[in-house]
Amino acid sequence: MKLRNYDYYLIILTTLILFAIGAVSLYGIAYYNYLAVDSQWTKTGQYSQYIDEMDSYLYPFLLLLLISLGLCIPKRLFEQDILIKFSGAILGITVILTVLSDIEKGLGFILAVMTVVQAIVLIMTIKKSKSIRFEKEGYIVRIGSSLLHLGFVIIILNFVSLRESSFHLLIFWIGVVLITVGNVFSFYPEKMTLI
Amino acid sequence: MGFQEYIAAREFLGSIGQPVIAYILIVSLFQGLFSIFYIIKKNSKYYDYLIKCLYISTGLYFIGFFMLAWFHIQIYNTVLIEYPAALRQMIPVENSRIAAPLWIESEKMYFWAMCASAFALTVKKRKDIMSFLGIILSIFSLVIYFFSNPFKDPLPIINGEITQWYALLPSSDMRIFEMAGTLYGRIAYYYNSTYMWTHPPMLFVAYASLIITFAACVYMLFRKDKLYDEIAYRYAKIGYILLTTGMLIGYPWAIEAWKDSAWWWDPKISGSIMMWVLYSAYLHSRIYVSKGKMWQTTAYLGIICFASLIFTYLLTYIVPGIHSVVQP
Repeated sequence: MKLRNYDYYLIILTTLILFAIGAVSLYGIAYYNYLAVDSQWTKTGQYSQYIDEMDSYLYPFLLLLLISLGLCIPKRLFEQDILIKFSGAILGITVILTVLSDIEKGLGFILAVMTVVQAIVLIMTIKKSKSIRFEKEGYIVRIGSSLLHLGFVIIILNFVSLRESSFHLLIFWIGVVLITVGNVFSFYPEKMTLI
Repeated sequence: MGFQEYIAAREFLGSIGQPVIAYILIVSLFQGLFSIFYIIKKNSKYYDYLIKCLYISTGLYFIGFFMLAWFHIQIYNTVLIEYPAALRQMIPVENSRIAAPLWIESEKMYFWAMCASAFALTVKKRKDIMSFLGIILSIFSLVIYFFSNPFKDPLPIINGEITQWYALLPSSDMRIFEMAGTLYGRIAYYYNSTYMWTHPPMLFVAYASLIITFAACVYMLFRKDKLYDEIAYRYAKIGYILLTTGMLIGYPWAIEAWKDSAWWWDPKISGSIMMWVLYSAYLHSRIYVSKGKMWQTTAYLGIICFASLIFTYLLTYIVPGIHSVVQP
């Protein structure tokens, strides 16, 4: 399959996964509404059960989303055959961790790997490395895209694995800044160049 | 300065604001009519009238907004909540003033409509999209006038809190302690919170921008012209940046204000996640808008996204939850 076609199907897949997460959220609204017949339900064990249930519905799609984005991320670093092997290995370890422990551990592992990979991508992009490949043209757009992906991965890693950490909010704000600057750089590269 | 001055300011706002909102409604209804006439007859004369109406209604929205701002300043200056000394260990301050933002209670839809009108003026050269927006904005004005009129009963919840506080103050009613605790929480974590001054306005400006994305997507579907995709994308970019950052800012606020309350997977939060992932899907699908029938998928997604936006906004009023005004 040509790389361009591969990107196209990846975008379709990502769109479908995002749509599925939307459907999970919609289900959450209906389910909450159903449970709220009892006005005191959030003060009972039912609420934590509801949270766990919703998280368990979300995590598989989140994992899929990360895999589809994960393919996007190291594809900038590796050729397609190495990329498939790399993704396969990471996915294998994630599955093993999920089976042996739980999906949160699996997600935490894949997110930590992605944070490292995307941080390398960002540094190489800033240094204008020739060994990194992007679909989009332009220095600012590429930095924006790298910042956005890194911020996104950091925010999810923070939610999934670092909720109890004393650095939780600090990491969150770092993620917010990366995402916001990444969005602005990606959407308005011409204006950023002028600045 | 005190309760009497506050009441006088509130009554004054009602008396000068009601005519303004009535004029907004009348001008907007004409705006809607001229939009329909233009769509049917394609006569530029109707379009010129539509633009004039839009300028007038937007101007009136801003005048009304300045009146609301004046009223909020009056609340800040006239209402001083002095906490009983017995509560000093629970409440870390001696007194509070209410710095209420201009997008709470019945004012939020007004703020959204005002921003949407201002955004609409930026596409006045696109007659087709503008005429469609003219109809949407007139429906907006109609809904505001009858269901979310900020001048009819200004800030009813804040007014209830202030009135109850001043009613309890002279008496030796023990409920004053409970009321002081509640008010402190409301003022510190809600009205005066930095998050309250940043999180909702970013979302409302995003919503206003995304109305134009919606209108352009509808036209893209019918006219099959790539130009509409460009317009939709231009406004989706503004909307998406504000939506993403605005939503994220809500997270530390929820941790700070709601602490152990049940807020995660609350319907409004679920709805916001749904809306955000759908807009992300829209922006993803748009990358290949020129390939095959992707333009159609993108247009449909843009419309579904807007439906989810309206649904998320309405969740506050239809489904119970920590963000909601309805309770089971």
